[in-house]
Amino acid sequence: MRKLIFGRVLSSFFSLAALVVMVFFLSRLTGDPAALFLPREATQEMLDNFRRLHGLNDPLIVQFGRYVWDLLHLDFGQSLRQARPAIDVVFEGFAWTFQLAAITIALVSIAAIVIGSLAAFRPDGIFDRFASVVSLIGASAPDFWVAIVAIVVFAVNFAWLPTSGTGTVWHWILPVAVLFIRPFGLILQIVRGSMIQSFGSLYVKTARAKGVGNTSIIFVHTLRNAMLPVITVIGDQAAAMLNGAVIIETIFGFPGVGKLMIDSILQRDFNVVLAAIMVTALAIFVMNLLIDIAYAILDPRVRT
Amino acid sequence: MKRSLMSLGAALLSAVHLAVPASAQNASKDVTIVLGEGVDLMEPCMSTRSNIGRVLLQNINETLTEFDVVGDKGLMPRLAESWDQQNDSTWRFHLRKNVKFSDGSDFDAEDVKHSIDRAMSKDLSCETPRYFGSTKITATVVDPSTIDITAEPKQAILPLLMSIVTIVPSDTPMQFVRDPIGTGPYKMAAWNVGQNIVLERRGDYWGDAPQVEKATYVFRTDPAVAAAMVQTGEADIAPAISVTDATNAETDQAYPNSEVFYMRIDQGKPPLQDKRIREALNLAIDRQAFVGTLVPAETTLATAMVPPTTLGFNKDIKPWPFDAEKAKALIADAKADGVAVDSKITLIGRSNLFPNVLEVMEAIQSMLTDVGFNVDLQMYEVAEFEDIYGKPFAEDRTAQLVAAQHDNARGDPVFSMFFKYHSNGPQSGFSDPKVDQMIEDATAATGEDRAKKWSDLFAYLNNDVVADVLLFNQVSFARVNPRVTFKPTIATNSQLQLSQVGFK
Repeated sequence: MRKLIFGRVLSSFFSLAALVVMVFFLSRLTGDPAALFLPREATQEMLDNFRRLHGLNDPLIVQFGRYVWDLLHLDFGQSLRQARPAIDVVFEGFAWTFQLAAITIALVSIAAIVIGSLAAFRPDGIFDRFASVVSLIGASAPDFWVAIVAIVVFAVNFAWLPTSGTGTVWHWILPVAVLFIRPFGLILQIVRGSMIQSFGSLYVKTARAKGVGNTSIIFVHTLRNAMLPVITVIGDQAAAMLNGAVIIETIFGFPGVGKLMIDSILQRDFNVVLAAIMVTALAIFVMNLLIDIAYAILDPRVRT
Repeated sequence: MKRSLMSLGAALLSAVHLAVPASAQNASKDVTIVLGEGVDLMEPCMSTRSNIGRVLLQNINETLTEFDVVGDKGLMPRLAESWDQQNDSTWRFHLRKNVKFSDGSDFDAEDVKHSIDRAMSKDLSCETPRYFGSTKITATVVDPSTIDITAEPKQAILPLLMSIVTIVPSDTPMQFVRDPIGTGPYKMAAWNVGQNIVLERRGDYWGDAPQVEKATYVFRTDPAVAAAMVQTGEADIAPAISVTDATNAETDQAYPNSEVFYMRIDQGKPPLQDKRIREALNLAIDRQAFVGTLVPAETTLATAMVPPTTLGFNKDIKPWPFDAEKAKALIADAKADGVAVDSKITLIGRSNLFPNVLEVMEAIQSMLTDVGFNVDLQMYEVAEFEDIYGKPFAEDRTAQLVAAQHDNARGDPVFSMFFKYHSNGPQSGFSDPKVDQMIEDATAATGEDRAKKWSDLFAYLNNDVVADVLLFNQVSFARVNPRVTFKPTIATNSQLQLSQVGFK
């Protein structure tokens, strides 16, 4: 297990370093930040002054060397747009995204595993068919449409919830609910398929023959063996959410890292882009590591 | 780094709040304003940027003078009670007494000097210098309530330019600040980045106390959500909702937003160097057909690069009529003289510039094609668009028609004409020594002579040069909660003075 973790950390470090180099140079290809920060009518003197103040006149390799040196001192640089440390900007956004992702993926996992397991127990039964229809609709409904409809129905028409924003627990309900739908449909289908396969295995038949109850068969004997592909998909979905739920953040005015990254790319706020990519990449590496550990716990073959 | 980790922890904890949903402050004197664009800086010298200006300008930080773009009061006193011209280059400003900043310090001439020096400093990247071009501004303190401001070369509209320079205390550092201190009727009480900004009314403001006691600004990119927030009572004012959401006559109103939508004609490439071709471009477009269909019914046809409330606006200029047959005849005439009328013209638009922009651009392409032009439409995101829009233009380009919006709510054409029409203007599509001279003469003129010179320039550009295809004076839509009184104006695009908000 220790060897597994060490190997993953080492490979993650090299991937992260490669990512930094790639993003640094690729982002510079998008153009000059001065042209976007300053107004169209900026004089040449203003443009030159901006580039001088932010070190944009130096050769790219010098800029990169300076960036790496600062990074080694845990200095991610200043945000051009916000005039404060880029890492502060990113941490603020990431904190919101992390909460949104953690709450949503926890709810999705619980709901999909329970409902998927029950659906698989009686394939083609009424419960199974109902769950399949709901999950397919969920997996195929566009986020932005669901979000707007949810606001119109629950905030405008019924006035049960706030339309958008942050501040109270009530503000979280619509974003989490909308974000819930798509991964729920997908994971439910994976759980169902994997469980049906496991129900047909010999150890389940043996358990039934021994008179084990349905609840134990589902949640003790079958689920553990059916979880491996499910964990993979949950990991993929969680990774996507940690990258930011741009549409949800945009519509609900949620100050997460996804919209921050898009805005920073469009505004050429390079230090924020790099810091955001590093923080989210690091979070995804940590999550992948946790998934590997979960794999090892569930499947002894992985440990050896 | 440690502080950053602490801020991460604090942000994580912030989700623990438990309370009922936010709702309208029906009985209070507090308002919530929902803006479409977030605020990344609260720096006074950047308040000419609309997203910052709407929160900060004249609410937190005031200026020496203020231009009445809505009425006919012209240039009005604000922190300067009066001003007079000492000589060609120098103006003397007599400052208001007994004014305090929100940090308790007294306002005096040293603050004005520091504010000007700071705004023009090379240690910052303020927006202010763009309005002054190459003019050097020097401030000299005469006494605590008098200051001389000198412009080299002379600047006829120096008092108007002072409506752009926001005043900060003399101890404000020479770097961007995030906690602005000003003399305005409000002070910043909180800034929860990405969530809201809260302004609170000051008890020691020098002027009349505005009715609004507290203003909370929230930010929603989706205009449908902004409209819904006012409808549900979560917000009181949404100054920019979509035309498709403006369906409630009780709460929604259209207003001119000072943006002019036009197409720059690239006279550097054939066939656009030929005046007949430029006239044909103007005649080929049925502008009126767009109004009430692809653009809001309140839209008016543009006849100049500036809105009608601007000094020197020439009311004698009429919009180009739609006359496809005449356009075809002009093209045929030019072709007979050897003009390469079949050359490809690239029509360039910006994605998401305003609702239906793609449909508008496609319709324009279709109208131009109908009269015989070879037009290729290309839409760009903002960053790519800005590269194309500004000089230097690519040498290997095809002839271009660049559709853009220009905003001038500052009352004087000087903020537009050099940039758009002078040979050295960064977005000018042609070079004409007579136009250059007219711009320079009008810029140096004052009073009625100035208005006439600008007026003559507008006519010359439209009739003789046919410099561009002017299309629409754009409108925006605002949704206002019936409990408050607020009338959006042409100034709302750049500033939203809370003192103009009242309660029923």
